Amino acid sequence: MRTKDPAEEGNVLICALCTILIISLIGANVLQNCTTRFNVSSSQVRSWKESLFAAEAGGDIAYAEVRKTVLDPTHAFASGWTNSGVQHTSPVTTFGSNGLVTSSVVDLFYYDPATGNPWYRSRSKGTATVSGLPRTGMDDRMGAGTRGDSLLRKIDFRTDHFVATYGPNGDGVAKAIVAVPNPQITRRIEQINAPVTPFEAAIKCTGSFYGLGSAAQIDSYNSKNGAYYFAANNPADPHFSDSRSGSVEIGTPIATVNGMLYGNISTNGGTVRPSPYITGTIDNNVPFTCPPFVMPTNLPPPQPAPTSVTSTTTITPPVAGTAVVPTYYVLSQLSGKLIINAVGAAQTYVAIHVTNDMTAHIDVKPNVHVKIFFDGNMDVKGRDIENETNLAANLQYYAISPASPGTTQFIHIDPPGDFAATFYAPSADVVLHGNPDLIGAMVCKTFYGNGNTSWHYDRALDNEGDAVDYRIVSYVEDIR
Amino acid sequence: MKLKLSRKRFAFTLPEMSIALAASSVILGATLTSSTSLQKSFNAIDNYYGTHMQQVRIVDYLSRDVKRGLVVTTSADLQTVTITVPNYIIQAGDAEAVINPALVGTPRTPTMVYTPSGWQVNYGNATSTVVYSINGMSILRSENGTVTTIASSTDQLVPLTTDVELSNTEYTKTSITFQPIFTSGGAVASRSGTTVYSTAYLRNKRRG
Repeated sequence: MRTKDPAEEGNVLICALCTILIISLIGANVLQNCTTRFNVSSSQVRSWKESLFAAEAGGDIAYAEVRKTVLDPTHAFASGWTNSGVQHTSPVTTFGSNGLVTSSVVDLFYYDPATGNPWYRSRSKGTATVSGLPRTGMDDRMGAGTRGDSLLRKIDFRTDHFVATYGPNGDGVAKAIVAVPNPQITRRIEQINAPVTPFEAAIKCTGSFYGLGSAAQIDSYNSKNGAYYFAANNPADPHFSDSRSGSVEIGTPIATVNGMLYGNISTNGGTVRPSPYITGTIDNNVPFTCPPFVMPTNLPPPQPAPTSVTSTTTITPPVAGTAVVPTYYVLSQLSGKLIINAVGAAQTYVAIHVTNDMTAHIDVKPNVHVKIFFDGNMDVKGRDIENETNLAANLQYYAISPASPGTTQFIHIDPPGDFAATFYAPSADVVLHGNPDLIGAMVCKTFYGNGNTSWHYDRALDNEGDAVDYRIVSYVEDIR
Repeated sequence: MKLKLSRKRFAFTLPEMSIALAASSVILGATLTSSTSLQKSFNAIDNYYGTHMQQVRIVDYLSRDVKRGLVVTTSADLQTVTITVPNYIIQAGDAEAVINPALVGTPRTPTMVYTPSGWQVNYGNATSTVVYSINGMSILRSENGTVTTIASSTDQLVPLTTDVELSNTEYTKTSITFQPIFTSGGAVASRSGTTVYSTAYLRNKRRG
């Protein structure tokens, strides 16, 4: 028979509960610490970085559209974009395994007064979801009176802090409390897309290169310092620093380089070796491409006359125009001599589109800035390129790439005659004969020149010409 | 039948007491020792992890500022980094704000200048200067004189930052170490094993 002694009744249950409570408290404390650390390392840091990836992806999408304004104008800001004047708003793009979200606003905010080329600003934002519950909070444990992560990583746990504080565009307009479906981080960047002008080197060809003659030379000067004179052999000359930029860029390994080169040379897999005839750097590992050139679409309506030039014709534009809005002519034929006058003493801007071959003599008077776009081939003598100021930027030829990539295009320039001009013909095979004294720059597909040419690249050309591409020149983040 | 218990059986004998006391002392000692060790271990691990997060925070701060920076300069002792950043937001007292106070707090429209080095994009006439430095056991970030402690630790959180100039850009390489609480006889690996590396490229390399 079992008996029970009242004196042996203990508080086992209470002791057990207390033990469980204490262990639970310890466990909860450990878990809370671990969870906070885990949320920071696994979710918040990840989302912080991913939101920047998303914003930069939005910037890349915007950049691709900006490039289309030059390379494929009919499809620029077309698919899904909302266009309002000079402002273009992208569709919202969701991508990636973590559902990143990005969008951009692009606006044309500046025209280069010298060239008329537009500049674009893109403002992009990227959002990444922060996994975990809104009440998770941040790990601000650092020290007395100091905050840690919340100063850096602005997490929207319940509402969008940026819209509430600065407005959706960050300009203080339309501030509102906007709830977010999940905790998230949004980062915002601004990028400036600058036009790339075509004449960054004396000669740039994407295909084979042969030239020049053994007694030829390529050097440079800067027309902003006055007329050309040879200074490449005189380090004491005040303009010596401008005299050795006569560079040649070749996009293939096929390069036969002759003559004296006061500048750099690059090839794509070529075997050019250092020699006393090349003063600059040699790099045989520089690939590049030149996109086909298409007719610009931002020119004003053409003048009613002339529409064809078959005999000597003089043009005096009705207005001086600007680089952005030149006086524009469309000629179905240009086989006669064309003389272009300035409007009084004003700097006069003219654009001519020749929808056929270029075989005519052009005479560009002082103060006139001409761009000639032609659809066919060019076959002239050096003396037919008459640029009275000898400023190459004042006479710019642009060969519009054939619609079919298989169609050949050529530019032949024969003696006699010296000239000053620039040529942008990324689809053309260029042949230069004779020994001209030449000021300017050339972009072409292949180049062949066997004469003892004196070629002077004008350093002022690196900011001349129609945009042929865009590059991002500035990046800032709105860290608010 | 009712059994009657003797009152003498209520007490422990001295040997029983001695054994119980010894056993409980051992158990209590073991409990205290192990709990203290566990607490120390937990504290060390938590400190290690928390300090690691501070490393990540320093890297993120630096990367953010270097990416948007125009110029980065590292001191000879590699302990101070100075970054020039554009003034993207119009502040009170800026020229634009004096003319139109409503512009305070809004993004600034940039201006372009053509220089011998190419185009330069400027946000206002002035720039801001961000300096990362070490003050005792803390890493400080000051922007135009306003100081923020971005990492604070009692374990010698030491960043080394080198900026390297390339032909067309510049980048900073940062490594951050700290001395963990638990070390193995002061071995060098105790510190080097905590190293976090980071490389950040300037997006706005500015020359001249």
